[in-house]
Amino acid sequence: MRARSAFFAGMGSAAIIAIGWQAGVGTLVSALPESQASASGTSNSASSATTSNSSTSTTDTSAAAPAATTAPVASGPADGTYDGSVVNTRFGTVQVQAVISGGKITDVIAVKLTDADRKSIAISQQVAPMVRSEVLTAQSAHVANISGGTYTTQAYLQSLQSALDAAGFTG
Amino acid sequence: MTSTAPLPTKAATRRNNVATQRETQIKKRYTARLRRGDLLETIVYFSVAIVLALFLADGGATYFLSLKDVTTGIGIVTGLVGSDLMLIMLILAARIPVIDRTFGHDKALAVHRKLGKPVLYLILAHMFLLMVGYGIAQGLNPIAEAIDMIVNQQDMSIAFIATGLLIAVVVTSLVIVRRKLSYEFWYIVHLLSYGAILLALPHQFTQGMMFAEGTWARWYWMALYVGALASITIFRVIIPVASSLRHDLRVSSVDIEAPGVVSVTMTGRDINALRAQGGQFFTWRFWAPNMWWDAHPYSLSAHPDGRSLRITVRDLGKGSARLLSLKPGTRVSFEGPYGIFTDASRTTKKAVFVGAGIGITPIRAILESSDLDPLEATVILRGSDAQDVYLWQETYDLCVEKSASLRVLVGHRPKGVNTWLSAEAYSKGESLLTLAPQIKNSDLYICGPTPWTDLVVRDAKRLGLHDHQIHAERFDF
Ligand SMILES: Cc1cc2nc3c(=O)[nH]c(=O)nc-3n(C[C@H](O)[C@H](O)[C@H](O)COP(=O)(O)OP(=O)(O)OC[C@H]3O[C@@H](n4cnc5c(N)ncnc54)[C@H](O)[C@@H]3O)c2cc1C
Repeated sequence: MRARSAFFAGMGSAAIIAIGWQAGVGTLVSALPESQASASGTSNSASSATTSNSSTSTTDTSAAAPAATTAPVASGPADGTYDGSVVNTRFGTVQVQAVISGGKITDVIAVKLTDADRKSIAISQQVAPMVRSEVLTAQSAHVANISGGTYTTQAYLQSLQSALDAAGFTG
Repeated sequence: MTSTAPLPTKAATRRNNVATQRETQIKKRYTARLRRGDLLETIVYFSVAIVLALFLADGGATYFLSLKDVTTGIGIVTGLVGSDLMLIMLILAARIPVIDRTFGHDKALAVHRKLGKPVLYLILAHMFLLMVGYGIAQGLNPIAEAIDMIVNQQDMSIAFIATGLLIAVVVTSLVIVRRKLSYEFWYIVHLLSYGAILLALPHQFTQGMMFAEGTWARWYWMALYVGALASITIFRVIIPVASSLRHDLRVSSVDIEAPGVVSVTMTGRDINALRAQGGQFFTWRFWAPNMWWDAHPYSLSAHPDGRSLRITVRDLGKGSARLLSLKPGTRVSFEGPYGIFTDASRTTKKAVFVGAGIGITPIRAILESSDLDPLEATVILRGSDAQDVYLWQETYDLCVEKSASLRVLVGHRPKGVNTWLSAEAYSKGESLLTLAPQIKNSDLYICGPTPWTDLVVRDAKRLGLHDHQIHAERFDF
């Protein structure tokens, strides 16, 4: 390859990768804990918790009142159960709820998991408990993919992240 | 006194003009080929960049935020790049005309071969790193994770089989290079690489996000897979079969040139449409008992005259020996024409042709079909004895017709000296430069046994010839 073309190929490749990076920045930023902390005001997200996705809203929103007054955990999310968004995958729909109590994720409830066929049901049953325990340990939706259940894991975590966002939960 | 310096005659000026025109034409064609080559190479680099970009666009960078995900991230990237390069290997072996015309079939295959080991390593790294990375995530050791993958995860068992096949393909390819296995065995095992690719495909759907719906990655990978498999099917199956049927070649005569050397002439329909050039080769299959299952590459030994094609073959092995008993009327199917050991790869007006033994076949044909002005070409032939200079009379006549200078070096090489010359020429102090004084400004075409060819190339490089001036056809894969 002639030098000029090699230069062009190198620059072009770098540009392509840069474009990919740029396109991925959104995902990257949302995965960074700090940037979330700065991005979402507490009261804002606490109020949005009550509005977001609550059409199917069930359960005991035991601490429905905004926690703005409780001094010690003023910056923490309000206790309650928050619905995550509905995420569609090619193996079915996924939705989870996050249970927040005392500023911690105490439970993740799977409302709906991939169920397109027997195989995906099996994968869901296998994967969901693993992701749940990972999440409870990590106290965040940013946990490693469970191989063999990429779709379920990713959708699960995406739904969970939206629930946590709604709760104003910043880990 | 008035000067008597001759004014250039009109005829001389015209001749000069035509000569420069031809020179410009050759240069133009060469530049176009270089540009095409650069473009194709750039596409390869871009394909790897695109793979990385798609990975990043899909949030791939998040894998590199925490130490425990890095293994998984690198594991995914190696898998993606490995798959991309593997498909490029397929495309390189698909004999796509534009690739053949730009780099030549042999260079494309050389790159194909060079990619083999790196691709295997990338795939093995992919497998190993994900076993470790996912294993960490699940608190399993890599072996337990591998077992878990195979037992519990969709399509992973066949993905593991695919890796096994891939190892077999690369290992046999390396062994065959050292001539420990037969060509046929290598060929069968090589077919397994298609199996490996197909077996690896499902896990890319179910485990990876390569084909995740609604992503650009999906379209990229689909295009690449479909493109690679389609080009193999089209250029290695459909077109050869269609072309063989259309031209309906049959053996018209089999002539003995020397003990163990025959020329096979084949006639058929519409031969001009093949646009074959002297110096190109076809892969031939003769439909005779004991022969039909075995296809071999042989170069044309004559420029196609529009009605017939001719090859000249030496019995170097079982398959070629069978050609000696070939009967006129035998049906022939073929793949080709292939290769740019032709006028198409010229970079300048002058040319030197060096052939040894049966390597004379493409040399003779390219000489016949080349555009050469008088005194522009030099032909150097080698044989261990006079009988070994095959097609000698024909080549001699061609050189007379083209006013090319012809040098024949007969006899064995001197003992203990690493040279391509005969002992006699060597002792007389001959060299490439004395045999072909114009060589530095010429294209050099070489065909003969590989170790011999390498020595000619070595001498040419010592004289300062550039890579692009040197064209070698090697008869062994
Ligand atoms: C581009 C090219 C052009 C050629 N042109 C001529 C020619 O004009 N005249 C001529 O006599 N020979 C030519 N050959 C060499 C010829 O193809 C081999 O000698 C022949 O295939 C040997 O087959 P075999 O069964 O007789 O020998 P084997 O005993 O099978 O093997 C002898 C050698 O040939 C190699 N070989 C066998 N089959 C193939 C194959 N299908 N493809 C590639 N290599 C193979 C083997 O690796 C081994 O090194 C050419 C080779 C190539 C690659």
